[in-house]
Amino acid sequence: MTVITGRGRRAPGAGVRRQDNRLAYLMLAPLVILLGIFVIWPLIYAGYLSFFNWSFYQASEFVGWRNFSNVLTDRQFVESILRGLRFALMVVPSILVIAFLFASLVKTMGRRAATLLKVSIYIPTVISGVIASIIFVLIYDYSGGIANWVVGWFGIEAQAWIGDVRLALPAIAVPAIWMGLGISALIMLAGLLDIPESYYEAAELEGANWFQRTWYITLPLMKNIFLYLLIAGFTLAIQQFELPLIMTDGGPLDSTLLPNLFIFNHFRDDLFVGYSIAAALLLFLVLGSISALIFKALNSEKAVDG
Amino acid sequence: MAITQRMSARPAAGRVVSRPALDPPRSRRSVRGAASRGVAGLVFVLAALFPLAWMAIAGFKAKTEVVRTPFQFFPEVWLWENYAQILDDPAFVRTMLVTFGGAVLFATLSLTVNSMGAYVFARLEFAFKRTLWALVITTMFIPGMAILLTSFIVVTKLRMLDTLAVLVLPAAASAAHVFFLRQFYLGIPLALEEAALIDGASRWQIYRYIFLPMSKPVFVVVGMTSFLAFWNSYVWPIMTITSPDLYQVQQYLATFRSERSTELGLLMAGSTLAALPVIILFLFFQRYIIGGIRISGLK
Repeated sequence: MTVITGRGRRAPGAGVRRQDNRLAYLMLAPLVILLGIFVIWPLIYAGYLSFFNWSFYQASEFVGWRNFSNVLTDRQFVESILRGLRFALMVVPSILVIAFLFASLVKTMGRRAATLLKVSIYIPTVISGVIASIIFVLIYDYSGGIANWVVGWFGIEAQAWIGDVRLALPAIAVPAIWMGLGISALIMLAGLLDIPESYYEAAELEGANWFQRTWYITLPLMKNIFLYLLIAGFTLAIQQFELPLIMTDGGPLDSTLLPNLFIFNHFRDDLFVGYSIAAALLLFLVLGSISALIFKALNSEKAVDG
Repeated sequence: MAITQRMSARPAAGRVVSRPALDPPRSRRSVRGAASRGVAGLVFVLAALFPLAWMAIAGFKAKTEVVRTPFQFFPEVWLWENYAQILDDPAFVRTMLVTFGGAVLFATLSLTVNSMGAYVFARLEFAFKRTLWALVITTMFIPGMAILLTSFIVVTKLRMLDTLAVLVLPAAASAAHVFFLRQFYLGIPLALEEAALIDGASRWQIYRYIFLPMSKPVFVVVGMTSFLAFWNSYVWPIMTITSPDLYQVQQYLATFRSERSTELGLLMAGSTLAALPVIILFLFFQRYIIGGIRISGLK
């Protein structure tokens, strides 16, 4: 494949578009080498090791598809994936709704108030999962945490939050929403501001109210942004594992054992790594196919032109 | 809430101060609307910042006071001891400095590697360009967990455990960053470099003297992302670092929390100090970062 001709429309600067193999390869070398060693090789290696019984201490043994069949028949793994889906269903729609309300609000504000709101909502995004975990574990403290103090106002008795099988997963979804909201909210706002004001003015002249304007103008025009945030948020949420690792270590009774934590714990505890690697690759497949499904479902009708 | 009230009276940004005679007199409804919008805005600000404010203030509390019934936001007596004590702990100070230095090194390295790659893909022509581009972009879609375990095996075999290199090198090259930087470079007008090329500048000189100086805003966004990723990373350090000399700050906090679980005031003070650098950095560059969120390509 030769690219010497370049693009015809820039004929005058003859020689401008010549090949620069040497410089190109020199400047690309660090990128390609690093990606090769730390991304591509580990991926190929993962594919290879998933067919072996491999450990740091023993000779490896080819086991065919056994690791995969072990993972797929492991109820704990299947349940962790379903739990990951439930977790994503708690986190992502909440983020989308709150982000949309936030963006609609900021749109109506003056510049200063808007900046204050945007900066505030973004700050939790830069906080680490470790610090968020530390804060929220204390907020959920049974005897002296803020959460129980607040529910006390409404006459609800104190809850164990992250110690309760029913409540633990929603309880770790809250810091996930807190940390994940900022970026989605600002992307949503950018999308909202992108819609020409004249559409709304025209609709208003016709007597459309806020709900009608939102339903017939805003939402259809923001469809692709919702789609993007949904898929990106979904893949991020299902991969969350710092929060459960630090806050609950998967407990109580596996109620916060999200898929990545399941894999990580196996890797930490197992002598042979093939099982954990096969599980990681299977999760990769599940993630990819669910994203594709969401994409297809939402894109089934042609997007309205903006 | 502000939902029923009309939205078209929104002043264009920057025109807030004076808009006298032209506007119709404000109806009672729009005043109420403004007030409820203000309340709604306050709710968002509080929800976002309350946990952090509580953490910072809990750093001034005695250890029995951090979680207590009934809840009290401010301490009975403001204690400086927690902050003084944690800043006096050589292990904490070292972990902050080591992590900070590592993060700066990491951000610099990844900007160098990724921006060179981005420039090459944006402007140079060379053999196998499309193949290499496809290869680089493919790595963007590999989820972390699929390669985390084997990356650990690879760095173990390379004898990189417990070195600065294991923290800095593996994530330095990032296809997402290359993609983002390349988008920026594609937007730089060709005319700029054509004049330089005619004057005999080399492609390298164009990168060095035209592209790099123009990259400041995009470097702030990408560099900040790298810095944050390094500063906040926890799982990779606990897998690869055991030497106290290289202990990373999140690792330190998590260890502190599990080993000295009763010293809550101290833990809160340490967490606050560990959150401070990234918050300050963000506030300093917020204009670039918030302004840098674009939606091109999503429509």
